[in-house]
Amino acid sequence: MREKVGIGIDVGSTTTKGVIINSNGQIVASSIRSTGASANDAAESVLDEIEESYGEAIDQSVVSTGYGRKLISIADREVTEITCHSLGVHHIFPDVQLAIDVGGQDSKAIRVGSEGRPTDFELNDKCSAGTGRFLEVMARVLDVPIEGLGPLALQSQNPCSISSTCTVFAESEVISQISSGKSPQDIAAGIHQSMAGKIASMSRRVGIVAPVVATGGVALNPAFVDYLGKSLGEDISVPQEAQFTGALGAALLSIQ
Amino acid sequence: MASNDSKERAYRKLESSSLLQQTMFRYMLEAQAASEEGKLAWVTSGFPVEIPLAMGLGVSYPEQYTAVVGSQKVGPEVCGFAEDLGYSQELCSYARAGIGSTDRPDDSPLGGLPEPQVLLACNNICGTVLRWYEAVSELTGAPVFLLDTPPVQRRQPSHHKEYVRAGLEELIDFLGEEFDTSLEEEKLQEVASNSTKAIDLWTKSLEACKHKPSPLNCADRFLAMAPVVSMRGKKHILEYYESLLDEVEGRVQQGIGAIRNERVRLLWDNIPPWFSIYKFFNGLAKRGVVFPADTYTHAWTGSLEGEGILNRMVDIYSNVYLNRGLRAKVDKMTGLIEEYDLDGFVMFSVRSCKRYSLGQLVSKDLVTERTGVPGVVIEGDMVDSRLFNEAQIQTRIDALIEMIE
Ligand code: SF4
Repeated sequence: MREKVGIGIDVGSTTTKGVIINSNGQIVASSIRSTGASANDAAESVLDEIEESYGEAIDQSVVSTGYGRKLISIADREVTEITCHSLGVHHIFPDVQLAIDVGGQDSKAIRVGSEGRPTDFELNDKCSAGTGRFLEVMARVLDVPIEGLGPLALQSQNPCSISSTCTVFAESEVISQISSGKSPQDIAAGIHQSMAGKIASMSRRVGIVAPVVATGGVALNPAFVDYLGKSLGEDISVPQEAQFTGALGAALLSIQ
Repeated sequence: MASNDSKERAYRKLESSSLLQQTMFRYMLEAQAASEEGKLAWVTSGFPVEIPLAMGLGVSYPEQYTAVVGSQKVGPEVCGFAEDLGYSQELCSYARAGIGSTDRPDDSPLGGLPEPQVLLACNNICGTVLRWYEAVSELTGAPVFLLDTPPVQRRQPSHHKEYVRAGLEELIDFLGEEFDTSLEEEKLQEVASNSTKAIDLWTKSLEACKHKPSPLNCADRFLAMAPVVSMRGKKHILEYYESLLDEVEGRVQQGIGAIRNERVRLLWDNIPPWFSIYKFFNGLAKRGVVFPADTYTHAWTGSLEGEGILNRMVDIYSNVYLNRGLRAKVDKMTGLIEEYDLDGFVMFSVRSCKRYSLGQLVSKDLVTERTGVPGVVIEGDMVDSRLFNEAQIQTRIDALIEMIE
C-alpha cells in the first residue's frame, strides 16, 4: 500500500516553499523558489519539484498557506500562515511558546498553544519596516550583498544607533552615518539592532514567553537572531527548516 | 417571505429596508426644505438634537453624509478636496469628506448637504468636530455653537453636570436669538417622548440578536441605525422601527438568522469601512461568520422621558460611549461578549478616528483576559479606502476564525 503523505505549499510574497511529509511528519522532499509575478506558476513548479524529488506524483490533497494561498489553483484547502507556522514550529519544538517568523515582506509573532494552535498573534503593518525587505534596502545602501550583511554586523563592537524603524527614514539615517565616517560594521550592527527592536516590540504585544523560536528567511541571519535575543532577553532557537515551517504546518494539516 | 431570496446568498435581505430607504429620503427632503426656509442646523452625531428639533429647526448630520460618501466609494476624491485646501491626510476622514464636500458640493455625492444656517457641535465624541465645523463655518458663513461635555472618568461630578446643563441653556438662548423663537416645554416633551420610543424599539431589535441564529448582522444594524441617529425625536421614524422590530421578532420566532449558516459569532468594535460594508460582512457571512453585536450601534440608548428632560439630556449625552474612559469601553465589550454569547471580537483600528481607536491594543488584552475569547485588531479607515489593505485584513480575520474553530 502506498504510504500516506502530506503536502503543504507556502506561497510567500518573496519565496514559495513546498514540502512533502511522511506519516511520521518528517520532511521527505522540499523545494523553494522565488514567487515572482505569478503565485500560481511558482506553486505549480514547486509542486512538480517536490514530487520529482519524492519520486512519484501524488494525488493527495494539497494545503496552501501564505499571502498567495488563495491565488493558486492546485490547493484543495487554504489555511492562514498564522495557523500553519504555529503548527509547523510546534512540530519541531513541541515546547515552543512564542514563534517569530520574519519573511521577505512580513513578520509575525505568534503565541503557540498546547496543541500547536495559535492563541494570539501580531502581524507587521503595511510598511516594510521589520521585514527582510528592510535588510535588503540597507544592504544596498551599504553596498554589500544581502548574505554579507549579517556577518558584517557580527564584527562590530559598537553598533551605531539607527533610531528609525521606517525603511525610508532609516535609509537616510544610514546614509548620514556613512558620510559621518562610521564603519560599515557598526552601521550594519545598528541596522540589525533597530530591526530586532521593532520585531521585539511587536512580539511583546503577544507576550514574551520562552522557549522562543525564530523562523523565516531572516532567521537564517545570525546577527539578527543575536540582536533579537538581546532585545527579548531570551535565547532563541532556529530550526534547520526555518524557511519551511509554514509549508510544514500546511502539510501536517493535509495529512490529518 | 424572507426565506425565498436567491439561493446563493449567504445572507438575508431585510424586507423593512425599503421603508428605511423611504424614511431616509424623507430626511433628505426635509433637510432641503428647512435649508430653503433658512432653518437648517448641521449637528454632530451625539448632539442633543431634541432641542433644535423642538425649536422647529431641520437637521442634517455631516457624519452620516460622509458615511454615504464612503459607501459610494468616492472617499479618496472627496477627502482629496479637503487635502487640496491644505488639510492633512491624518485628519479624520469624516472631517475631510465633510469639508471637501462643503467646498465642492457639485463634485460630491447628492450635491453635498443642503446649506446650513447654524452648526451645532458637541465634543462628547471628540474634539475634532469643533475644528471641522469651524472650517465649514468659514466656507458657509454659518455660526458654530459648541456644547462642551467634559470627559467622564468614573462618575460624573455634580459641577460637570451643572456646567453641561448651563451649556444646554445657552444653546436654547443661542437658537432663540438666531431664529427668533423659543423652546416650548410641551414641544420638548413630545420630541423627547418620540426619541425615547424610537430608542426603545431600536434597543429591542438589538437585543433580539442574543438569539441564535442572530436575526441581524453588522451591516444590517449599521444601516438600520440611520434614522435613530439622524431623526431621533420625529414621530414618523417609529413606523420604521416598529416594522424592523416585527421583522426581527418574526425571524427569531421562526429560527431564521441574518446569515444562512451561523457558525462563529463575533463582536465588532468601531465604525465600519463604509466603502466595503457589504463585501466585507457578506464575505464573512459566506463562511458562517456573523456579528450579533457591535460597540457602535449600541451607543444610542437611554430614556429622555418624564420630568427634568434637560437633566436627563445632561446624563445621557455627556455619558456617551466615546466620552468615557477605557474602562467603560472594556466593560462594554466584555458585557456584549457575555450577553450575546460571542466567540471572539474584531477591533477595527480606524486610522483617522483617534478617539475611537486609541487604546485598542490594551483593551484587546483586557477583554480577552476577562472573557477568555480571542480578538484581533485590523487596521483601516471608514471613508478613505486608500488606508485599507484587504488582503492583510483577510489574513488576520481568517486566523482569528481558525483560532476559534
Ligand atoms: S475623529 Fe472619530 S469621533 Fe471624531 S468626528 Fe472623526 S470619526 Fe467622529
